[in-house]
Amino acid sequence: MERLLQYVFDGLSFGAIYALVALGLVVVFRGTGHLNFAQGEMAMFCTFIIWQINDWGVPLILAVIIGMVFGFVLGAGTEATVIRAVAKKSAGGVFVVSIALFLGLNSLATMIWDRAEGYTMGSLFPNQPFDFVRILGAEWRYKFIGVLAVALALMGLLFLLFSKTKFGLAMRSVASNPDSARLVGVPSGVVLASSWGIAAAMGALSGALVGGINGQLTPSLMFSVFIYASAAATLGGLDSPGGAVIAGLSIGVGEQLVAGYIPGWIGQDLKLSVALILIFVVLLVKPSGLFGSLKVERV
Amino acid sequence: MTFLKTVGLRASYGQVDVLLGIDIDVNEGEMVVVLGANGAGKTTTMRAVSGTIARSGSVIFDGQEIVSQSAESIVRLGVAHVPQGRGTFSELTVEENLRIGAYIRKDSIESDIARWYKTFPRLEERQNQRAGSLSGGEQQMLAIARALMSRPRLLLCDEPSLGLAPLITQELFEVLKNLNEQDGLSVLLVEQNANLALKVASRVYLLETGQVVASGSAEAIAGDERIRKAYLGG
Repeated sequence: MERLLQYVFDGLSFGAIYALVALGLVVVFRGTGHLNFAQGEMAMFCTFIIWQINDWGVPLILAVIIGMVFGFVLGAGTEATVIRAVAKKSAGGVFVVSIALFLGLNSLATMIWDRAEGYTMGSLFPNQPFDFVRILGAEWRYKFIGVLAVALALMGLLFLLFSKTKFGLAMRSVASNPDSARLVGVPSGVVLASSWGIAAAMGALSGALVGGINGQLTPSLMFSVFIYASAAATLGGLDSPGGAVIAGLSIGVGEQLVAGYIPGWIGQDLKLSVALILIFVVLLVKPSGLFGSLKVERV
Repeated sequence: MTFLKTVGLRASYGQVDVLLGIDIDVNEGEMVVVLGANGAGKTTTMRAVSGTIARSGSVIFDGQEIVSQSAESIVRLGVAHVPQGRGTFSELTVEENLRIGAYIRKDSIESDIARWYKTFPRLEERQNQRAGSLSGGEQQMLAIARALMSRPRLLLCDEPSLGLAPLITQELFEVLKNLNEQDGLSVLLVEQNANLALKVASRVYLLETGQVVASGSAEAIAGDERIRKAYLGG
């Protein structure tokens, strides 16, 4: 029983991070209709910025906030320059550009912060061996509780932004019909750039959380997180923030349960392919995901 | 007083010139209809006024040159465009479509929503449905109501009758006529259904391959034998 609780709890914390990155994908998809494959690498790059600023002596919490601002500028700037120029010509081009960004950011980080063993990354939350509470026999480490709390709070804020604010409505209108959005006066350029910016800022935060949990920072920081997050976004439905959260948490818990109870069954190396197979199956069986909306249109 | 005035308005899609210099006037409180065959440049004229395509020449609205302004800023001046094919936000609910229609406004919009629900009761019945699930006629009502939510002074309405049943078309034209006559809303209307349009409009422009080939009062145009034969089906 304790073991089960322990796996579920650890799984929720990891799942919360997958959910955050998946939410970034959803924000971009809802705002612009594109999939940003560089989401994870943008997060990784911002995390290095955070590490660097922290290393220069700025407190970590402040460094994270600066990193999120940097992320917003990076995301918004990318959309306003390369993505928008290419999107005018072809939607497929955006896909290729985001792959190029993925590789480019990865190489850039490797070039600037070249060290095989990586760097030690601090945690935003108390992270000593005794920093945990015991609830129902399971160890709830403060850093995991912190990650879960931050992720859930951010999700709540995003939900409010999307459903309750004029800006959220404007974002959805641009995603739905960019021409009509301009006709009602929505500055679509600002909205598109902001959705990329918000996604990248969320990425910066999730990168800092992952780095804090791992205690270590390398350019491959977000690689597996991004695969799980893509699986979560696909499973939950690319246009459903709620779906991304539920799917992200489920994948996190599922991962811990499988790894804990049947460690020999899949093994560390094959775990990622399970996520990829999940993406494949969802796209085949239910392309809109569990909570996504099918596009229905009568003529 | 001339409210909207285009002088030598030109536009092209790529290499193809679609508007070859259009001169159109709409006076304040007037309903003007643009008639013409497919490909004559009617829709392009509307888009050139609302700023959704690149254009040159002159477009003066309420004394102000707007030919180089963006669509986002032209709507703020009081020009609302109901595009051809309706252009509703399919994934948004009916009510959200109305709310985003008032994007440029800072004041309270609840009374406007209530008003257009009263004008189009079917929209109220479906307020929480996604716009994409509405019938063609309901979508056209929504497109018009959405444009009105910005409280425009000039409404550009592009073929509202397209693909609709005659009864619904008549209902829509009744609404447009009331808006024009009772609220003093200036309307520039594009129509293929000339007989219907001539009944509600006061003046007519006839477009042919990107040029105005005839214009005049609705009675004069409707009474012109040659025009009747060529455009109005006898």
